[in-house]
Amino acid sequence: MSMLDTAQCERLVRFARLMVPGGQGMPSAEAIGLCGDPVDEVLAIDPTRMEGLGRILALPGEIGTMADIEALAQRDASGFADLGVVLANAYFMHADVRAAIGYPGQEARDSSAGLTNADHALLEPVITRGSIFRPTPA
Amino acid sequence: MSGATHTDALVVGAGPSGAVVAGELIRAGISVTILEQGDWVPADAFDGARRQWELTQLRKWHPNPNTRGRPEDYPVDVGHSDVNPLMFAGVGGAALIYGAHWMRFMPSDFRVRTLDAIAEDWPFTYDDLAPFYAYVEEAMGVSGQDGNPAYPDGAPTPLPALPIGKVGRKAAKGMNRLGWHWWPGSNAIPSRPWRALQPCVLRGTCGTGCSDGAKATPDRTHWPDAIKAGARLVTGARAAEVTLDARGRASGAIWIDRTGTRHEATADVVILCANGIGTPRILHMSDGGAGIANRSGMVGRRLMMHPFAAVMGTFDEDLESWVGPAGQILTSMQFYETDASRGFLRGAKWNCMPAGGPQSFRAGYGDGPLTDAWGLNLHENVRQKFGRSFEWGIVGEDLPDPENRVSLSDSLTDTDGLPAPAIHYRVSDNTRKMLDFHIARAVEAMEAAGAIETAITPLIRDCGWHLMGTAMMGDDPETSVVDAHGRCHDVPNLYVMDASTFPTSSGMNPTATIMAVAARSVLHLIEHRTDVERAA
Repeated sequence: MSMLDTAQCERLVRFARLMVPGGQGMPSAEAIGLCGDPVDEVLAIDPTRMEGLGRILALPGEIGTMADIEALAQRDASGFADLGVVLANAYFMHADVRAAIGYPGQEARDSSAGLTNADHALLEPVITRGSIFRPTPA
Repeated sequence: MSGATHTDALVVGAGPSGAVVAGELIRAGISVTILEQGDWVPADAFDGARRQWELTQLRKWHPNPNTRGRPEDYPVDVGHSDVNPLMFAGVGGAALIYGAHWMRFMPSDFRVRTLDAIAEDWPFTYDDLAPFYAYVEEAMGVSGQDGNPAYPDGAPTPLPALPIGKVGRKAAKGMNRLGWHWWPGSNAIPSRPWRALQPCVLRGTCGTGCSDGAKATPDRTHWPDAIKAGARLVTGARAAEVTLDARGRASGAIWIDRTGTRHEATADVVILCANGIGTPRILHMSDGGAGIANRSGMVGRRLMMHPFAAVMGTFDEDLESWVGPAGQILTSMQFYETDASRGFLRGAKWNCMPAGGPQSFRAGYGDGPLTDAWGLNLHENVRQKFGRSFEWGIVGEDLPDPENRVSLSDSLTDTDGLPAPAIHYRVSDNTRKMLDFHIARAVEAMEAAGAIETAITPLIRDCGWHLMGTAMMGDDPETSVVDAHGRCHDVPNLYVMDASTFPTSSGMNPTATIMAVAARSVLHLIEHRTDVERAA
C-alpha cells in the first residue's frame, strides 16, 4: 500500500508535472511512476519528510503554473523543502534516470594504480619551483 | 546513582584524541575507562554504496547535530553564531564522517606571534611535533606523495598517494599554467591494505561515512586493540560533570546512560577529549555549574571554527566528478603564508574535491526563483554540470578572539536535561578579507583550468568542522587553561587532550595535529605519572 493516499498522490503529481517535466532526453517524474515505489522508498528511508510533505500537499490552491508553486512554497517553506527532497530523491534514485544521465552511482573502483607517469610529469614544475614554506625560527 | 567504578584514568570522548590517549595508557599498563555518549557505528550502517546516499546525508548522516537530532547528540544553541559547529557522537567521533583530509600544520603555524605579531606562539614547534605526526600517520595509514615543497621535510606519508583522476589532472593543469603550488592530496585513507583498513575504492562518500571500511577512523585503527588490551569503553555514556575532592583534585566524572540513570566513575586522572565544544561545556557544567579549571576566565573562549568558502568550476567535458576520494584530490598552499600586502594576516589551504552525485546541482535549496531550480532547468543544470564540475575548497586560518566563545545555554537542553552549549561566534574582518582574496584566486585557478562557468560560495554556514581553542595551552595560568602537555593549571590531575588546547587554528584540517598533540601529551603524562597529584 502506498504511503500517500490518492488525493495526496494526485496533488504530488501536479507539482511534479511542472517541477520535473520530461524533456532533453530525460523522463518526467510522472513517467517513472513517481507516486508508487519511488516515493514510498524515499519516505521509508526518511520518514521525517512525511509531515512536511503532507502539509504542503494539503495546502489548497491551484497548481497550474510555476508561479502557483512559488506561492505555495512561500506559504510553507519547510513543507516545500521536504517536497523538493522527496521529489528529487525519488527521481534521481530511479534506475532509468541514472541511466539517462550516465550515473552509475557511487561505485567502487580500484585505487591501487595511484599516480600515473603523466601525473608525475605534471608535478615536475611544482618541484622545480622549489620550497614555498615560510622560514620559521625555532 | 549507581555505584562508582574506579580505574587509574578516565577519558571522556572516544574520537581521535581519546583513542590515541586511551591506547597509549592501556599499553603502558594504566587501567582506563572511556565514556562515549554515542555508539559503535558499523561500516554497513553507512549508505555510500546504496542508492539513497544523497538522501540520507541530508539528515541521518548530516554533520550538524541540530539537523541530525539523534538522542545521543546534544543540541547546540547557535542563535549568536555565524557558523554552525559540526560533530558526531560515536566511537570514532566526528572522524566517522570526516573527509579524512590529513594535513600537518605548517612550521609557521606554531610561531604566529613571532612571525605576524598577532595571537600566540605554541609552546612547541613543528620540529618538536614531527615525530608524533609520523607516529600517528602510521596508525592511520595515511596516503600521500612525499616531497611536498610546502613542507621543510616534504611531509612524508607511509603509503603512496591515491589516484588524482580526471578532476585532479584538470585542476593541476590550471595551477601549472599559473605557476601555483599544488600537490596530490594526503588522506587518512590507505591506498593499500593497511592493518585493519581496507584499501580505498574511490567511492567518494567519505563525508557521510565509509561503507567499505577503508577510511581511517579510530573505531578501526585504535579501539579494537585498546579494548583487547583491557580498556573499558562505555558507550551511551554522557559525561555530565567532572567531580572534585575537597582539595580540588579531579576524582572522576558523573555520567548519564541512555535510560537517564546517573553513574559515577572515579579515577586518579581525568582526561577530557570531548572536542572544542564538548570539553568546555563539561568544564562549565562541573562544580554544580560554577565551572572548574577557569581561573584564567579562558574556558570556552577563543573558539576557532575555520570559516569555509568554495569555488565550483564547470567544464565542457566529462570528468567523472562523482568519483572519489572525497578525501582531497589535490591541495594547494600557494597562498598559505602571510603577505601583508593582501590586507589580512595569515592564509588558507585549498583542497580540490569531487562534486558528488546529481543532486549537488539541484539548486532547490537556494534562494533563487524556483524556475531556476526546477522544470526544464533541472535537466539543463544536471546535463551541464553533473560529472563535469569540481570544487576548490578554502580553509582559512581563523584567528582567536576571546569574544568567540562557548558558554551554557539558558534556553536549550539535551535529552538528559543538561544545558546545551551556546555559541557566540562572529566571522572576523580579517577572515572575510582572507576568504575574498582566496575566492578570487580560486576563480582564476578554475578559469586557467578551462572552466566555462564558476560558482562562488562565500561562506558556508554548516562548516564548523574544526573546533579549536577553547581551553588554550600556555605557560601562564592567568591567561591559559592548560600547560604545554594538556594539564589544567588549576586542577593538576585534570587534562585536556583535544583541539580545545590549540593556541591558534592554522589553516589546515586539524585531525593530524589533534592526534599528534594527544600522543605527545599522553606520553608525557605516562612518563611523569608518578608525579600526578591524585584525589584523596
